[in-house]
Parts: sequence; C-alpha cells; structure tokens
Amino acid sequence: MERMKVDVARTRALWTANKPGETAAPAYVPDPPALWGVALALVVALVLQTSLAPWLQVRGARVSFVTLIVAWYALRTGSLHGVTFGLIAGSCEDALAGSTGVAWTFATALVGVACGRLARTWLADTRVTLVPGAALVTLVRDCAFLVLMHAQGLALPLPVVHFHAMLWQSVLDALVALIVLQIFPQLGAARAHRR
Amino acid sequence: MIVASSIALIQLDSLKTGKPSVIAVAVGSVAVYAQSATAAVQGAARGAAASVADAPKLAAQNQALRERNRGLRLENARLREALAAAPDAAAIKDTNANFGPGIEATVVGYDPEGLSRTVTLDRGALAGIKSNDGVIDDDGVVGRIVATEPLSSTVLLVIDGASKVPAIVQRGRWWGIATGTNNSVKLEYVSQDAKLKVGDVVVTGEGRSFHAGLSIGTVTRIDHPEGALYQAALVTPSVAFGRLSHVLVVSPNPGAAKPADPSE
Repeated sequence: MERMKVDVARTRALWTANKPGETAAPAYVPDPPALWGVALALVVALVLQTSLAPWLQVRGARVSFVTLIVAWYALRTGSLHGVTFGLIAGSCEDALAGSTGVAWTFATALVGVACGRLARTWLADTRVTLVPGAALVTLVRDCAFLVLMHAQGLALPLPVVHFHAMLWQSVLDALVALIVLQIFPQLGAARAHRR
Repeated sequence: MIVASSIALIQLDSLKTGKPSVIAVAVGSVAVYAQSATAAVQGAARGAAASVADAPKLAAQNQALRERNRGLRLENARLREALAAAPDAAAIKDTNANFGPGIEATVVGYDPEGLSRTVTLDRGALAGIKSNDGVIDDDGVVGRIVATEPLSSTVLLVIDGASKVPAIVQRGRWWGIATGTNNSVKLEYVSQDAKLKVGDVVVTGEGRSFHAGLSIGTVTRIDHPEGALYQAALVTPSVAFGRLSHVLVVSPNPGAAKPADPSE
C-alpha cells in the first residue's frame, strides 16, 4: 500500500505539468521507449510463441507476450502509437495463425487504444494496477477476438473450452507481468526527464 | 495515423477478397526462416540431450525396437483395414491408384496464441500445397491445410474445434464425423445401432482431404444417451500432437489442380 502511495504521488508530480491545455512549459518531458527495442521484443515474442508453444502451455493456455508488449508500449506512449503498434502486432499474429482472418489485428489494436487512454494516469505507473491490468487486458483482447471471429463467420465452436483457456491465459499473463516487474522494476514506471 | 489506417485497410481488403494480405505474405515468408532456424536448434538440442542421457548402445537398441514396433503396427493396421474392407476391395484399389505422391514438410511453428490448434509447415504454394490438402504422419491423420503462403502453409489440426473429418469405425464400418475438442477428437453422429466398443479403431472415410482408411485414433469412451438420435465416442488421436515434426501433405485429387488436356 505504501509503495502504491509513493507511485501515485510520483506519477502525479510527473504528469501535472503535462496536462492537456496547460500553457506553461512542462517540467517533465515524457521519454517513450525506443521503437526499435519494442519491435525487437515483438519479434522475439512472436518467435517464442510460435516455436516454443508446447513448452509454454499450461492447461491448454499459453502466455501471450505480444499482449503484454503492446499493452506496455501503449501505456508508455498513448493511444495513437498504441493502436498502430497493436495493428502491426495483430497483423503478424493473424499472418502466423493462418485461420483467424483479421481477428487478432483488431483485437490487439483495441488493447493499444484502451491502454493508450491510460497512458498519462497513475494507473499506468504502479505495479498494483499493472499486474491485474495485464490479466484484464488479456481477457478483453481474447473476448474481442472471439467476437471478431464470430463476425467473420469463423466462430470457434467450443466456447467453454476457449473461455477456460482465456481465463488461464489471463492468469499466466498476470504472473509473467508480476515476475517481469519484480526483475525490472523500472518497466513499471513511465520514463521522463526534467526539462 | 496514416500507418494505422493503411494496416487496417490492407487487412480488411484481404478479408474481403479472401486472399492473404501483403502483410500476411511478408510475415509468413520471413517468419518461416526464423521458425525453421528455431526448430533446427530445438531439434539439435533435443538430439544432444537424448544422446547424453542414453548410452549409445541402449539408444541404438531402442531405436531398432521402435522401428520394428512401428513396422508391425503399420502392418497390423493395414491387415485389419484390408480384412474389414474386403467387400470394398475394388474401391480401395481404385483409391490407391489415385493416391498421388505426398509432399514432405516439417512443422516449424504453432498458433501464436493457442486458442486454435494450428501448426505452420515449411512448405507452401510454391511446393504445390493447396488449401484442403490432407496432412498425415506415420501414425495417422494430422489435419488439413487451411491457408497457404508461397513458402509456408497452415494446418488446422484434427483436434481443433473447427475441424470435422468424415470417419468410420474400422470394425463395423459405422460412419460418423470426427470433430476436434481442442485436446482430442469426438466421434459424433454415429447411428444408435452401432455397437461401439472401447478400443475400436477410427479411420478416415473418403473425403475432400483424405482417402479412406487413414488412422484417426482409438475409442476410449462411449456416450450412448437413451432416446437420442445418435451416439458419440471420445477418440484418443493416434498422432502425438505435442511432438509433431515431419509430416506428409497429401491430396486425394491430385489431378484436380492440373490444367485440362485440350486434346480431350
């Protein structure tokens, strides 16, 4: 709880000067992650998910590193960058899956938009919200995927099985987010430098 | 904004036309190399671990016994099928005559999210693979091709929920539909008078992706509800989907893709 308070106070201080409509020069300038680094992470995530799938599987579900990377990048940059990166990542997943049409493209773009909307709020800067947020985002993305599959006439005919897999995937993603944030705590806070 | 709109439009256009998008072709072509490299590393690591764990002599003996066992199983399955399908011998002969040579391929990738059961092969349209071609390995039916790129293709595994394969219970020639359950196969729409038994072998019926007689799996549970029109059975697949490696892509109608002979 104490850590959360510190995180919230730090985020408020960080972004107060960057509120939309402020005329004064911001005290802190956001320092988004380098695109090449995130792109590289996406490639590694895709290779891991498609090549080592049988080893990443728990009870029929699999960790979605792609979801975590898109959500994290959107939280650090905003909606526009988030949706663009989400579209790219989702397109790659659709290309690799082969039988999903454009479902992953737009489901992942949705993650980019949703997380991008939270980019300048304290919700994006504390592990207390980031870890359950990872689970929630995974569930939202998977639900959007199922809806889009249905809309394309490619409905997955096993709702119970897939819902079970979705729940497990959200748990696994939250677990991975927790581990990563424990090892690299700096990823849990937005980077910025004083002007 | 322009980039985002372009990607969205390209994807929607591919959905509308039903053809793979530029993004899908590019990603599929590039990814197959990365996945092949990873698969090769995995294979090498697995091989190294196996050779370290087992003494060379034991490994050789084991290999020889496995080969012998596999040969006996295949022979057994062939003889059983020949015995069960004796009245249809002429039809089977025709089927064998039409059965074209398969295309060997290696599994190099899996579905990125795991919500559907698909795998990626390292051969694609350039090797002659077409949508709906069947995919088998030495144990039986693996699945069917659902998407092809120039250098790679995607296989919908027979255990996927969207997979449906016409099937026959080998012992009694009872028909059914083998549907995926994500982890195994369920034989549905079997008539109520069929006397199914646990251990019955289920094989493919003649269909658009497979010829008749390829092993799908073995019945492990029978669901025979009173008053229902049909009975169902849970089938354990004969293929180990967790360690797929080399497969054969077969087309029941290889002549269909050939151009028509103008002299005919």
